Amino acid sequence: MRVGPYLLTVEPRRTSSPLHGVLTAVVAIVVALVLSSVLFLPAEGGPLHAYRVVFAYAFADRYGFLATVHRAIYLLLCTFAFLVPFRAGLWNIGLPSQVYAGGLAAFAVPALLGGPDLTTPPVAPGLLVLVMAVAGVVGGAVLAAVAGLLRARLNVNEILVTMMLNSIFFWLVAYMIKEGGPFMSATGEGEGFSLPSFLYAPLWAGVPVTALLAVGAAVLLDGLFARTALGYRIRAFGLNPQAARYGGIDPLTLPILVFVVGGAFGGLAGYHYFAAVPGVYKIPGNYGYYGDLAFYGIICALIARGSGVGAVPVALLFAGLSLGARLAQGQLHLPFGVDYALLGLLMMTFVASHVLYQYQPVWRPAAEPAAPPVSADAAEG
Amino acid sequence: MLELLARSLEASTIFLFAALGELVDQRAGVLNVGLEGLMLSGGTLAFIAAQLTRDYLLGFLAALAVGALLGAAHGFFAITLRGDQVVSGMGLWILSFGLTTYIGNPYTGPLGLERIGTWLGLSPFVYLAVLLVGTTWFLLFRTGVGLAIRSAGEHPGAAEVSGINVGAVRYLCVTFGGMLAGLAGAVYSLSYNPVWNYNFLMGWGFVSLALVFFSMWNPWLLLAGATLFAAMWQLSLSPELVLPGILSRYIWRALPFAITIVILALISAPWFRTRWGLAKPEALGRPYGG
Repeated sequence: MRVGPYLLTVEPRRTSSPLHGVLTAVVAIVVALVLSSVLFLPAEGGPLHAYRVVFAYAFADRYGFLATVHRAIYLLLCTFAFLVPFRAGLWNIGLPSQVYAGGLAAFAVPALLGGPDLTTPPVAPGLLVLVMAVAGVVGGAVLAAVAGLLRARLNVNEILVTMMLNSIFFWLVAYMIKEGGPFMSATGEGEGFSLPSFLYAPLWAGVPVTALLAVGAAVLLDGLFARTALGYRIRAFGLNPQAARYGGIDPLTLPILVFVVGGAFGGLAGYHYFAAVPGVYKIPGNYGYYGDLAFYGIICALIARGSGVGAVPVALLFAGLSLGARLAQGQLHLPFGVDYALLGLLMMTFVASHVLYQYQPVWRPAAEPAAPPVSADAAEG
Repeated sequence: MLELLARSLEASTIFLFAALGELVDQRAGVLNVGLEGLMLSGGTLAFIAAQLTRDYLLGFLAALAVGALLGAAHGFFAITLRGDQVVSGMGLWILSFGLTTYIGNPYTGPLGLERIGTWLGLSPFVYLAVLLVGTTWFLLFRTGVGLAIRSAGEHPGAAEVSGINVGAVRYLCVTFGGMLAGLAGAVYSLSYNPVWNYNFLMGWGFVSLALVFFSMWNPWLLLAGATLFAAMWQLSLSPELVLPGILSRYIWRALPFAITIVILALISAPWFRTRWGLAKPEALGRPYGG
């Protein structure tokens, strides 16, 4: 495109600094927030007031902040579930199914011990809590392994498989907790049975232990990708599977491995939300909402550019925003779905920022139009 | 039973329109995994437009317009910027999923218009679908335009050398594909099940995407696949018609998705791939130029 005496072109960026990555992420989020203010236009007191309400509840209110932290842990675990396969170039959009599988596997433990009738711990409760968490992790990992296995052995598109698993597990949870399902609550109100209090995950200042696992995993993942041979193999496979194969990386096991690790995080996220967050302690009837929320994990990982530690502040922000938006909805009489709209807007600004990240506008003086060739006659004359 | 058949034929048109558009996309070498998002946007805007104007035609036009727009947006990212097509497709899906939930929410509930009539006992879209499949097949395999589309998907470099504008062909195809996806969403929300609910498709778009792979990029096989799949889908919604009292209705709902995975695995097995799998457009998902 020609602008005055200059030529404006878009060219691929050859180098990129970490600072540049952070900046693009921040710009993407800020632009999404500015765009979201349109959603808040119908709010009483205008968009700025609405944002103040959202942030005040999510980050300055004691109970609100605690809820934000609970949700942030969930989003962070979902983020890792997406992030690990993504570093290997594979798309795990089966986060909801892994969350459901983790929740179902965790609740299978008390269900086998009597379900709603379980009133006294048969063994040490601490041990049972641990078994539940491990069951959740294994549940998510085994389910995701299906997608990894199909990808590795038969080259089946993992996006399709994981999406199908989402639908399958959505209905499976419905079957388990509704209409006389095995995990139905004693009162039969279309939700799962509640955990007895001795199976609640230990809390520290109101925050369940899963927080420690999530933050620890963030650090470990970054270390894994930056400093270990396995992390190198995953990244190499993600950049170029064919070249990685020549480099001795086994294309038959790596996809399975990343999906198992990713799924384990998804399963842990399910355990966290259904069995460790105070006030829940059951698979609620609106479990589908938590499944939808899991998709925030995709955006978190993309915006954090695959960095575990980088995802921590992003997850915290998104958790607060989605939670505060729900509150603002009731308080400021906004239409339903601000949290969903925000999800969409963030995705859009991410894709735009992704382009900015990979390309750069280049200004060049436009070449002068070539002088008309001097005719032979004129030269001779 | 006849009603079940008519219903499943109507359902098949939704799978078919979406998948046929995607098939043309992919034949030109562009993969759009955000099909479900395009359908959601088309269906939601069609529903709103039809309800506000009380005019079906405007509803369908709105769906075509938004489908074309989103398809072209995917084209801009995939063709002009040569970006990762999966990132863009996933972006369109999540964008649509989020925004339609917000925009459509005040319209939750029935459409409140007189139902679209039938012709010889079938939804008019069934006839349109067969017509479109025939036209698309003819266009793709019997005309110069079709050759241009297929060569852009198989070997864009060679196509370019022989004078085909690969970028223009691909843009045309993604926009057309987007329009058909929008139409598919509108058939769902205006005719098949005219009650708006958030995320009303719940996976139809992804199943349509899978159908394109099943069809081996052949419109007639796609028609067969969409018909079979829709029959199975309809059955899973009302299993009591055939197998009363067996399995919970929730398990039935999960079944079509499980079968999709099984078929995906089967057609990817080596013996199938060596016999049938040569149809895949060679340059599918790869940006061209630069």
